[in-house]
Amino acid sequence: MASLKALEVNAVTKSFGETRALAGVSFTVEQGEVLGLLGPNGSGKSTLMKIMVGIMKPDSGRVEIQGKDVAKDPTGVKGIVGFVPESPRLYEFLSGVEYLDFVADVHSLDSKTKEERITDFLKALDLEGKENELIHGYSQGMKQKLAIIAGLLHRPQVLVMDEPLNSLDPRTARIVKDLIHKLRDDGVPTIFSTHVLEIADAICDRVVIMDNGRVVEEGSTKQLKEKAGSSGSTLEEVFLKLTGSSDTRDIVEALSR
Amino acid sequence: MSFRKAYKLAIVLTKSQLRGYQRSRLIARIFGNPKIILVADAIMMTVPALLAYVLLSSGILPTEILTVVRGIESQGLSGIPTILAFSVILFGILSEISQPMQSMSTDLVNWLPISPSEYVAGSTISLSYTYSFMLSFLLGVSLGPAVLFNMVPVWGIAAVMSVLSLFTGASVVELLRALTNRISSSFYRKSGRSGIFVRLALTIVVLVFFQLLFSGRIIVYVLGGVMQTVTAAWFVPIVWPSLAVLSGSQGDVLASSEFGLLTLGFFIALFVLAVRLRALYWVPVPVAIRLTNRSYHPTTSVSFLPGFGVAESAIFRKDIRSLFRRREMARLLAIPFVLAISLGVSLFPISGTSVTEQVGFYVLIPVYVMPVAIFCSIMSMTCIGQEGNAVWNLYVAPITPRQLVKVKLIIPVLLGLVFSVAMLVFLGIILKITLADFFFLLGLSIVVVMGESAIGLYFAARFADFRDLIRSRFVSVWGSLFGTFISLLLVALTASPMLISIALHGSIATVYFAFSLAIGLGIFLGAWKLAERQMTKLLREIRV
Repeated sequence: MASLKALEVNAVTKSFGETRALAGVSFTVEQGEVLGLLGPNGSGKSTLMKIMVGIMKPDSGRVEIQGKDVAKDPTGVKGIVGFVPESPRLYEFLSGVEYLDFVADVHSLDSKTKEERITDFLKALDLEGKENELIHGYSQGMKQKLAIIAGLLHRPQVLVMDEPLNSLDPRTARIVKDLIHKLRDDGVPTIFSTHVLEIADAICDRVVIMDNGRVVEEGSTKQLKEKAGSSGSTLEEVFLKLTGSSDTRDIVEALSR
Repeated sequence: MSFRKAYKLAIVLTKSQLRGYQRSRLIARIFGNPKIILVADAIMMTVPALLAYVLLSSGILPTEILTVVRGIESQGLSGIPTILAFSVILFGILSEISQPMQSMSTDLVNWLPISPSEYVAGSTISLSYTYSFMLSFLLGVSLGPAVLFNMVPVWGIAAVMSVLSLFTGASVVELLRALTNRISSSFYRKSGRSGIFVRLALTIVVLVFFQLLFSGRIIVYVLGGVMQTVTAAWFVPIVWPSLAVLSGSQGDVLASSEFGLLTLGFFIALFVLAVRLRALYWVPVPVAIRLTNRSYHPTTSVSFLPGFGVAESAIFRKDIRSLFRRREMARLLAIPFVLAISLGVSLFPISGTSVTEQVGFYVLIPVYVMPVAIFCSIMSMTCIGQEGNAVWNLYVAPITPRQLVKVKLIIPVLLGLVFSVAMLVFLGIILKITLADFFFLLGLSIVVVMGESAIGLYFAARFADFRDLIRSRFVSVWGSLFGTFISLLLVALTASPMLISIALHGSIATVYFAFSLAIGLGIFLGAWKLAERQMTKLLREIRV
């Protein structure tokens, strides 16, 4: 019997008016795998992530997380998924700890677990001492840290992160990367999008490259470099080649004129 | 100071101000264009001027009325500059206190090479331009009679003084903005949680005060007093422009010129002061407000009401905090105070017989139930849009539409009940309502609160507006209008059996009361179903 896939994206399409955001996207993620979603701005990564976590409906196609159909059981899926959106908007009138307390309660964590996890995360991500301040006064990086904690607080079975390392200082970025590795060791799969190709190269088991709402390539970074016919090239060169944006010299010339 | 830069900034600020208030893209495009505003101003001045002139000179009005109009014109021309200055200050303050937290320190101008004097000049011109429609209208209305009664020179003085007053009012707002930046920063840094409550309380007081000031009955009373005291208050600078006009109308050219020059001097002084303060307190500093110094202890993960789970309780706590911590919520909390005081003024006039004495108990039902219904309906209609861009937090949470309906309904219901009981006790004591009537009214208000909150929630989910704008409405214009209309229709339907009973028998018969309760409960159950269905649709796909 085939093992249960952590995530299955099957022929997903989505349009906004005349604009086709996703045009039949399919791929799978194994248990404990770290998958990087790469693609230029507007390639459909964020839309796909919203569909994966059940906050947006696809026009057609299906997404299953740990065997649960997202469209049929969105509430059930939300209980087992952790989601960190790109530029998260938080409740600015709450203090950091009140926000985390709210998220923990929404996931029905008991008091003891809640206290332990929130205290540990605040300490690990350097928010200790700031937790009683209103989020309104937080820097973008601090808000990003809170959103990451909120996504992890209920120990999700699948983690979906949209540009999670945005605005983070190097120390916190390192902690988050190590955390993703630790989750992988514990069998928790992570799907995350990034524009920083070095990060994808360093921590992803596999990457999916999207362009114009389609998957243009997928595989391990090593496989992609080989497929691109230049085994010695960087992931950046492969990415630019696959997304048809490799010729950047004219643009740089024009900008520096 | 570069006047060109100040002018360019004024144009940008005007567009931003006008577009920030408009939800419809088409309307925003039309009214966000300063040139169109200029045309609209010209129309607003010309049309009333022509209409007033044609009406007064047509000969259809009796001489007595013309004499009265002549008297009003003479007084009115003097009053226009002071009214304009006060209005600009009022709207400026209202706009300031309605800004959401997010937009406080993110002004583009904070990073651009603009000097304090250029900023204050640009902002003053922009503010004056935004409210120029009032100037156009008031000058237009007064121009027709001025031509007819040979008062054009006085009108000319009033026009010049009004323009100066408009700029003076705008300078006061600029001054207040700079001071607010400074005071609120120091205040919140020191006061924490109590500062939030003080700010909310002050905002409510300001809103209630100005709402009442603009209610018909009170404004007539206040204006009468103001016009009587304008001459006596010559030492108050804000009335100098009015005194310039008044002296002009009495033929005292010297006094008119003196007050005119004093007005100009006052404006310049205020402008310089605003520039100085702006230079000192340039950017509003985002303050880290610490609520407590205690280390974290989790709230007990238990439900607070029977039938409510831990998740619902968490959302309830979050919504309560939102209500009492966000300053854009103050205008919602001010509603019961405004309604109660307006109701009091209507029921108990300053002199003469009270309304209930004249018409009897019959009038009490709509007068009591309508404010309760309006309050619940508004609280409920805005409860979804209040989530703003942070609504994704609810979308990713493992909660069902039914859970969300339950928890979103509880706040308007609880607040509505508190409001209705407080009002009923007050009215009961003042009007000596019998115990039976007290309970009839209480029963009616309970079903009205439930029904109105539920129907409001349907409109909240159907027409939610999640955009974080200046003076966010939280529900679309169409939703708000349609929702209010339906809400009032339903409350009339609920109360109608009791009103019929009073009309037929002079009192409330139990069977009619039972009919009212049944209708109210029916509306609540139907509205609940509709709200749940709409919430399911809303949660299906995120819109922000």
